[in-house]
Amino acid sequence: MTAIQEQPPEISAEAESWEDELQKVGLVRRIFQARRWYGADWWFVMISTLMVVGFVVIALFPNWFAPYAPDALVGPRFLAPNEHPDLPIIIVPKDSPFNTLKDLAVPEGQPRPQVAVVQGVPTGSALNEQAQVIDEQVKNEPGGLRLRPQIDRYASDEEALQAILDGKDEAAVIQSTEWKTISTHFPTLREAQSITGGTANAGGFILGTNDIGQDVLSRLLWGTRIAILIGFSSSIVALLLGVPLGLFAGFVGGAFDRLVSLVMDSLYAFPGLILAIAITAVLGPSIFNVIVAIAVLYIPTYYRIVRGQTLSVKEEVYVEAARSIGARRMEILQKYIFPNVIPSVAIIFSVNIADAILTGAGLSFLGLGLPPTIADWGIDLARGQRFIQTAWWMITFPGLAILLVVLAFSMMGEGLTEIFNPKLRER
Amino acid sequence: MPDDILYSIRNLTVEYQTRAGVVKAVDDISLDIRRGEILGLVGESGCGKSTLGKALMRLHTGPARNSGGQLLFDGRDLMKLSEEEMPDIRGAEIGMVFQDPMTSLNPVQRIIDHLTETIHTHEPGTSDAAARTRAEELVEKLGIRHERLDEYPHQMSGGMRQRVMISLALALRAKLVIADEPTTSLDVIVEAKFLDLLKELQKEFGLTILLITHNIGVVAEVADRVAVMYAAKMVEVGDVRDVFANPKHPYTQGLLKSVPNIQLDGSELYKMEGAPPNLLHPPKGCRFNPRCPQVMDICRIQEPAFEAVERDQLALCWLYQNAPASAEVHNG
Amino acid sequence: MAEQQSLKTSAAPHDTDTSEYLVQVENLQKYFPVQSGFLAGLLNHGEIPAVKAVDGISFGIRKGEVFGLAGESGSGKSTVGRLILHLLEPTAGRVIFDGIDLGTLQPEEMRKMRARMQIIFQDPMAALNPRMTIGEAIDNPVRIHLSGDSAKRRHVVNEILQKVGLAPAEQFYDKYPHQISGGQRQRVVIARALVTVPELVVADEPIAMADVSVRALLLELMMRLKEELNLTYLFITHDLATAKYVCDRIAVMYLGKLCEVGPLSDVYEDSGHPYTRALLEAVPVPDPRHRRKESMPAGEIPSAINPPSGCRFHPRCPMAQANCSVDEPELRELRPGHFIACHYAEKLLK
Repeated sequence: MTAIQEQPPEISAEAESWEDELQKVGLVRRIFQARRWYGADWWFVMISTLMVVGFVVIALFPNWFAPYAPDALVGPRFLAPNEHPDLPIIIVPKDSPFNTLKDLAVPEGQPRPQVAVVQGVPTGSALNEQAQVIDEQVKNEPGGLRLRPQIDRYASDEEALQAILDGKDEAAVIQSTEWKTISTHFPTLREAQSITGGTANAGGFILGTNDIGQDVLSRLLWGTRIAILIGFSSSIVALLLGVPLGLFAGFVGGAFDRLVSLVMDSLYAFPGLILAIAITAVLGPSIFNVIVAIAVLYIPTYYRIVRGQTLSVKEEVYVEAARSIGARRMEILQKYIFPNVIPSVAIIFSVNIADAILTGAGLSFLGLGLPPTIADWGIDLARGQRFIQTAWWMITFPGLAILLVVLAFSMMGEGLTEIFNPKLRER
Repeated sequence: MPDDILYSIRNLTVEYQTRAGVVKAVDDISLDIRRGEILGLVGESGCGKSTLGKALMRLHTGPARNSGGQLLFDGRDLMKLSEEEMPDIRGAEIGMVFQDPMTSLNPVQRIIDHLTETIHTHEPGTSDAAARTRAEELVEKLGIRHERLDEYPHQMSGGMRQRVMISLALALRAKLVIADEPTTSLDVIVEAKFLDLLKELQKEFGLTILLITHNIGVVAEVADRVAVMYAAKMVEVGDVRDVFANPKHPYTQGLLKSVPNIQLDGSELYKMEGAPPNLLHPPKGCRFNPRCPQVMDICRIQEPAFEAVERDQLALCWLYQNAPASAEVHNG
Repeated sequence: MAEQQSLKTSAAPHDTDTSEYLVQVENLQKYFPVQSGFLAGLLNHGEIPAVKAVDGISFGIRKGEVFGLAGESGSGKSTVGRLILHLLEPTAGRVIFDGIDLGTLQPEEMRKMRARMQIIFQDPMAALNPRMTIGEAIDNPVRIHLSGDSAKRRHVVNEILQKVGLAPAEQFYDKYPHQISGGQRQRVVIARALVTVPELVVADEPIAMADVSVRALLLELMMRLKEELNLTYLFITHDLATAKYVCDRIAVMYLGKLCEVGPLSDVYEDSGHPYTRALLEAVPVPDPRHRRKESMPAGEIPSAINPPSGCRFHPRCPMAQANCSVDEPELRELRPGHFIACHYAEKLLK
C-alpha cells in the first residue's frame, strides 16, 4: 500500500536552492561551498586530505625533503635528536681565511702550520690521522702542497685557544661539545669546519641517527615512498581484481557466484598477516612480492562489499526499469549497477590503503618481504627494537610515521563516507 | 479554559534546524481540540501536520524543537513541563498511533508484553494478572481475539497492528489519541473497519481523537471538525459539514475540488497549479498567494489574521477581513 | 459499447475475433516459491509452498482503451502488470501481445519488443537511477530502440520533456532526480515510458505517491498523451475513486483471481460480486453528508500461500452458501461485456 511520508518540509524545497548553487561552480569551489553543509565533518575531510596529499608528495619527491640519502652514513652512531655530534672541530680567529683542514696545507719548504690540541684526549691522534689522509691526497696534486701540522699540546681547551690569541698557533682543534661551552669566552674566535669536513652543527640530525650512523629523518622520508607505494599498489591491484569479480558474482549469481564466494570466504578467513607471511615466505623478498601478497589479502574485502552492494542494487526499481526499456545486461551492469556500487568502493579504498601500509610495515618488521637494504619503516622498527632503551628515537619516529599515515588515510575514508553517502541525495 | 476544550494550542511554532537555515515547520498555529470529538487535520505532504502532531507530545528531538507558544492540555501548559515530567503524559494521557505499524512495535516482544509493560510503566502497582485481564478485555473490544495476544508483531497483519497501537493508547485510558496517517498503509476495506472502530471508541470511551491525514475522504467519513494546514500555517478550521459544503479558504476550495469522489459522475478533476512554497523562503504576505485564483494586492504584502468568518468557522484569508487602511494597499 | 464476443476463462484465441485486442491474457499463473531447494519439498510432503500471486486469470485489453485492474494488496495486480510486460515469466499460461505469444520469443526479440510496451512505476524516486541525469534516462530507450545520431536523439528527448510539461527542456536535461520535485519526477518516469511511443503502457499505481493536488494534473497529462500518441493503458490501482475518472473497463482481482470484469459504469453501478460491492462501499467519500452505512466484510485478506478452497472470498462473504467453499466460480457473462465470478451474482444484479 502507499505510504505518504511527512518529510521535514525544507528538504524538497531546499534541494533547488543550494543544489543549483553548487552545480554552477567547479569541483574545488564546490568543496568549499559544501562546507556550509558539512560543518565539522568538512574539517575532518580537509585535514586528512591535506595530510594524505602531504604524504603523497613526500613519497613522490623524498629528495626534496630529505637532507641525506637514506643509506648514507652521515654521522656518528646513536646520535639523539638534535644532539650535536661530538666532532673535533677547527677553531680559528674570526678573520682567518682557514676553514678546512686542507686549507692549512702549505707548499713544500714553507713553515709547517702550528695547531693546538688538548693533551690526553684522542683529538690529537684524530688530527694526525686526518692530516695524514689529506697529506696523501694533496701531495699528489699539482701545487706541491703538504700537510704536516705541528701539534702543540696544552693542558686544557682554554689554554689551547689562548695559544691562538697569543699568536703561538694558527688554529686549534677541540671537541665541538667543549667549544659550545667555552665559545662565549673567546669572542674573537670562530668555529670552522670539523677536521673531516662539514660543520658540526650542520647535521643537527633532527631525529637523530641510527645504529650505523644513518639519518633517521632521511630514512623516514624515503621510507614514505615505500610505504605509499606498497599501500597504493596493493590496494589498486586488489580493487582491480575484487570489484569486477564481485560485480559479476552478484549480478550473475549461480555456480560462478557460489564458487568464487567459497574461494573468497576461505581467503578472508585467514588472519591477514599470517597469509601475507606465508606468501612472501614462498615468493621471496622483493617489493613486487610484498605488493602481491598484500593485494591477495584484500581482494576478498572488495569482492564481498561489491557483491553485497550489487545484490541489493539489483533489486532496485530503477534496475527493473532498465530492463523494461530493453537495456542489455551489460548495459545494466555498466550504467545502472556499477555507478551505484562504486561510492562504497571509494570509501573502502582509502581505509584499505591504511591497512595495507600497516600490513606492509608488519611484514618488514618481521624481516619478511623487503630486502634489508631498502629504507622502510618496518625495517627501522625492527632495528630500533633492540635499542629501545638507549636510542628511543630509532623506533619512535618510524612508529609515529606509520601511525600518522594510517590515521590520515583512515580519516579520509571516514570523511569520504559523508560525501558519497545518500545524505546528499534527498528522498 | 472552557471545560469542553481538552487541548488548547496557542501560537505554537516548531523550528527545524537545517544546514541551510532555520525552517518553521509549524508557524504560529492556534487550534482547540474539543473533548470527545474527532478532529481531522488535513494537508499535503510538507505542510507541517505530522510535525504538529509530534509537537503536541513534545516528541521532537534533534534538529527540531518547539520554539514558541503554549500547549494547554487539560489545564496544564505542557511547554512548561520539564523533559523528565513529559513521559508521564505520553502514553498515559496522550497516546499516539503512527503511520507505519511495522516499525512502531518491538518485533521481539509479544503483543501481551507490549500491553502489560505499558500498563506497568504508568501504573506500577498493577499486578500481572490484573494487567493481563485488562489487556484482554481491551483487545476484545478492538476486535482482536485474545488468543492472539501471545503472538509477535510480525505474525499480525497491518490492520491488526494498528488496532494494537490503539489498544496501547487505550490501555492507560488516555484522554487524547493522536493518530498520524493511521490508515495510509492499510487496504481500503481494513481502513473502513478501522475508521468504524475509531467512531466506536469515541462513543464508548469518550475518546478524543486528532486524526492527521492527507486523505480528504477519510476526514469526511469520520471527523466532527476539520482543520486544514498549508505551508506550516493553519488556513481553515470548522465543522466538517460546514467546511465541505462551504469552504472559505481558496486552498480548501481547490483541495476539495481536486479529490476524486466515487459517487459523482466522472467529470473533470480540478487541477491546482503551482506547488507548495519553499519554507526556507516563504512568499511574502499570505503563503498561498502565488497559486490563489482570488488573490488580491494585499495578499502579497501582508499576512491575514486567523479569524472567524462565520460562527465556528475560521479562515486565514483576506477575503473575509478588512485590509488595514494604508496608501500602498489597493484592494482589487 | 457493442460487445462482439465473450471472454471465457478457457477460450482459445482462435475461436473468437480477437483483432481488436492488443493484449490477451490466457490462464495466467504466477507462483513464487517460498523456499527453494529439495529440502523444501521434503519438509512439505512433496509440495513446495508458494505464494500463488496470480492463479489462473484471463482477460483482454482492447486497443485504445484504458483498462483498469483494481485490487487490494495481495490481489496480484502488480504481478499481472509485470507478467504482461514479460518482466516476470509466468508459471503457466500465456500473454499474447498483438497476436504474438511473448513466451515464444527469444530474449533478443523480447528486448526489441519492449519498445512497444512500457511501464510507469509507482515510486518515481525509486524508478530513476540516482546517478543518471534525466536527459540520459530518457535518452536510453531512444538510443536502444531507435536509430539516430545524438543530435536527433536530443531533439526527441526534448520533445517528450516538453510534452510532459517539463519545460524548458534544456533546463531539466542535465538535472538529477533528487534535484527536482516529486511531481516532476513522475513526469520524467512518464516521459521515459512514452518516448518510444509504445502501443501498451502499464501504469502501476502511477499517482499513488504524488501529492493530492498534483494527482489531477498527472492524470490529465496521462490521458492527454493517450489521445495524442494513440496509447492503450493498463491502469493498475487500489484507488477505485480515481479509477472512475480514467478507466473505460475495469477488472477487480482478489487473491490472485478475477472477481469481476466489465465496463466501468456497469461494474460501479451494478456490481454482481460481493467483494466488488464491499470495495466500492469502503472507499471514503469526501462528503460528510454521505457517510458509509454498510458494514464491511469480516476478517482480513488471507494468505496467498494457502488460499481458501472454492471461492476465495467465501470466508468473508456475507452471501456465502455451502457450495461456495467447494466449487470455484467461473467468470460468467451475465450482462453484455460484464463478467462476474460468483455463484450467486444474480442476487446482486439489478
